[in-house]
Amino acid sequence: GNRRFYDSVVLEMQDPKTGVKSQTQRLVITTIPHAITGEDIVEWIANRFKVGAAEARAMGTMMVAFGYIYPLQDHKRLIIKPDASLYRFQTPYFWPAQQWPVEDTDYAIYLAKRNIRKKGMLELHEQEQYNNLHKWMNHKWDFIVMQAKEQYRAGKERKKPDRVVFDCQERAYWVVHRPPIIFTQQCIMRPRVKSSVSIGALVKYSTTYKQHDPFLYPCLPSNPWLTDDVTYWQLNMQNIENPTKMRVERWTFSFGELLSDPRGRDDFRLFLKKEFSGENLAFWEACEDLKWGTAATMKEKAQQIYKTFLARGAPRWINIDGKTMEITVKGLSHPHRYVLDAAQTHIYMLMKKDSYGRYLKSPVFKETQKKAVAPEPHNFRLRRPSLSPIILRQQEEEQKAKLAASGPVDITQLCRFTAPVPHLAVYTGICENQSTASPGLMTLPNSAACPSPISVAIDSTPASERRFDSGGTASSHFPSIAESAETSVSEESQPPPPKSRVALSLSRLLRRGCNAPSVFASLSPKCAVTAGGGRVQPLGEPLAQPQPKRIANFFQIKVDIPPECRIYPIDSEDEEEESSGTARGGVKEIICPWESVTKHDGAG
Amino acid sequence: MNRWKRSVGEIQARRRQVSECEQAQAALSKVTACFQQIATCIGSNTDGSSLREELEDTRALAYRICTGMHRRLLGLLAETEQVQEDREQVERMWVLFLCALENFQQNLRKVSVLQESFPLGQRRDRRALVNSGATGGGSEVAGRAATVQMPWVTAEGEQKPDLKIHIQEIDDLLQEMLQRVNIPLWSVESTQDAWAEVCKELQEEDTLDDLMEVEVVSQDGKASGCCSHSNCRLGCIFCLLN
Repeated sequence: GNRRFYDSVVLEMQDPKTGVKSQTQRLVITTIPHAITGEDIVEWIANRFKVGAAEARAMGTMMVAFGYIYPLQDHKRLIIKPDASLYRFQTPYFWPAQQWPVEDTDYAIYLAKRNIRKKGMLELHEQEQYNNLHKWMNHKWDFIVMQAKEQYRAGKERKKPDRVVFDCQERAYWVVHRPPIIFTQQCIMRPRVKSSVSIGALVKYSTTYKQHDPFLYPCLPSNPWLTDDVTYWQLNMQNIENPTKMRVERWTFSFGELLSDPRGRDDFRLFLKKEFSGENLAFWEACEDLKWGTAATMKEKAQQIYKTFLARGAPRWINIDGKTMEITVKGLSHPHRYVLDAAQTHIYMLMKKDSYGRYLKSPVFKETQKKAVAPEPHNFRLRRPSLSPIILRQQEEEQKAKLAASGPVDITQLCRFTAPVPHLAVYTGICENQSTASPGLMTLPNSAACPSPISVAIDSTPASERRFDSGGTASSHFPSIAESAETSVSEESQPPPPKSRVALSLSRLLRRGCNAPSVFASLSPKCAVTAGGGRVQPLGEPLAQPQPKRIANFFQIKVDIPPECRIYPIDSEDEEEESSGTARGGVKEIICPWESVTKHDGAG
Repeated sequence: MNRWKRSVGEIQARRRQVSECEQAQAALSKVTACFQQIATCIGSNTDGSSLREELEDTRALAYRICTGMHRRLLGLLAETEQVQEDREQVERMWVLFLCALENFQQNLRKVSVLQESFPLGQRRDRRALVNSGATGGGSEVAGRAATVQMPWVTAEGEQKPDLKIHIQEIDDLLQEMLQRVNIPLWSVESTQDAWAEVCKELQEEDTLDDLMEVEVVSQDGKASGCCSHSNCRLGCIFCLLN
């Protein structure tokens, strides 16, 4: 608002006839004239400016906030209360003015004066500001103190009522211009911890927890990530009957540890049941449920909790103090996620300080401790996570060779245009052995190095049979590395690898969703080569003998699958167009290994 | 005379001058404080021609003290032969004098503006005055200012300038002081610790704050205490007023 505007408004309010009604303020020893009530101010403004009550109140509050009027009661709240609360006009000397800034020197003098008057009892923010000013105005401080004393004495020359008025005026001025800055106050007042204390806490934490940290100490019996042995996880399952000793030890670290471990909480629940004080834990859990549950059920849950735990005569009444109960019940009228926080905290602390200690000494706990399992560390002398990939590959190939020797030719091989071709790999130089192997087989080179259990489990299909028909061409959008010279030793003894005559265009590949990942997988530079064919030999293991041109299959192409088993829709048009005279009719689909597994197992 | 030897007379003269300046400083403080107290009444219902006159008298007093002090301090600082202890003291006085001048000048500016906003030339101007709740003017305060005794006030009778000119003069004075004498402000340390003024000042029976607090009680019109006694603010059991 425009200050000049308020200047004039105030002056209008003084008018003896048309101004605001004036009253007398009664003090114990004297009376002070010119007091005005908030409601009179608001009414006057409303009439004068033809505005509603709310707007008049707002205007009134502006005037108080600027400092044209100050409240006689509750002097720190600069608002208009539209009731019988009293106010007074501020003397023009203390009006807000743009012509001169509010000086820190003046404030310092004021604080020093106040110090003298109140015998050192300043408010917190005043003390803080006093100290600050003393520090950076130190060169002026003698002057400030001197001036403060003189102002104090000068003020005392006046009559007592006038002194009261002046002190009110001055105080009101500084409330406007040096309001207590709560936020920074709190920042300044925030409790600070000595580094020795905080570091001590860190040391204590580390000492307590270090043996439980799998990075620092070995897991017992062994770390599954390192040894592939999952005993550790099995031993530490949520609902296991006998937990491990380490786990039980953790419960003793803090109440929080006990509660957050489901098995620990179960044990604790058992103990409380024996003590007939299970309602506390039940309440705590109900609160957690409310906090983390869906919003839709919140209101209902809150009501249920109230009925069960909080209402008078409730079946599982919990004992919280009156104040907390009051707040909680009040909050429950408009329940929200955190409405029970106060009560929950109370109960948590109750359990922590009382029940937890007793639990640790209880027979329940001791029993659990006794029965706790202490697994011996695994001793893997020949630590092998699984069969050697070389062996596995050999086994696969033997199997395929066997099947190839006996099984029928797979129709798939004839559909060279629709079968994904491995040598679309652009730059990995992998999976070459197209000679005998079907082009239709996607090789996931990774499978050679670390065959997934699934691929090993998969029964090889007639893919091993696949003959590559060297006839027919199809344009490949990707130059095949296969076409470049092969340097593999083993290759030379093989019939020349077929060029990539058959290839799916990338777009078609992408349409066959299942293919894409395998294409990209095969593009991975990390993969080791498949048996025999590729440029990149299996890591560090040159093949001793020429291997049959077989490619381990990660994805299998199945044909003759009844339509209802299809996973991906087939673009039958494409196939008609492109297939050159090869037999079609078979419905083609790509089956992801996990699907195959289930099919093999017969499970749904 | 050997520049390192000073006569007793010289030393005594200097000491006297320093002491005079200190008195002057105290006097200036007193006068400017009174000036401020009176100035707070401008524009309020206690404003009037007498108040303005008192204001002017006080200002005149301040002016005289300032000009005298300025001259003497300059003289003291100008002397090259100075004892260390003396120099510190004089420099401190210099800095404090600067602060006092600045502070006084600010008040002068306020007064200037206020007097323009609340001219008292016409009768109707009185209607514009703000009802501040005060009843008395500043005459008691002005009286206090008038009691100040300065060695050179009567001796040097400079006429006080017009208010606006006065303000400008102080401006020039300040500038000159800062340029002529190279004393960094921060080099002066306070002789007082923080919170020292609390003990030093005479603690008279000061019930002002009590008075201001009582406002809250009495305004409700009802006793916030247990009984109807107006001073009772206690809970029932411990009330002895009943």
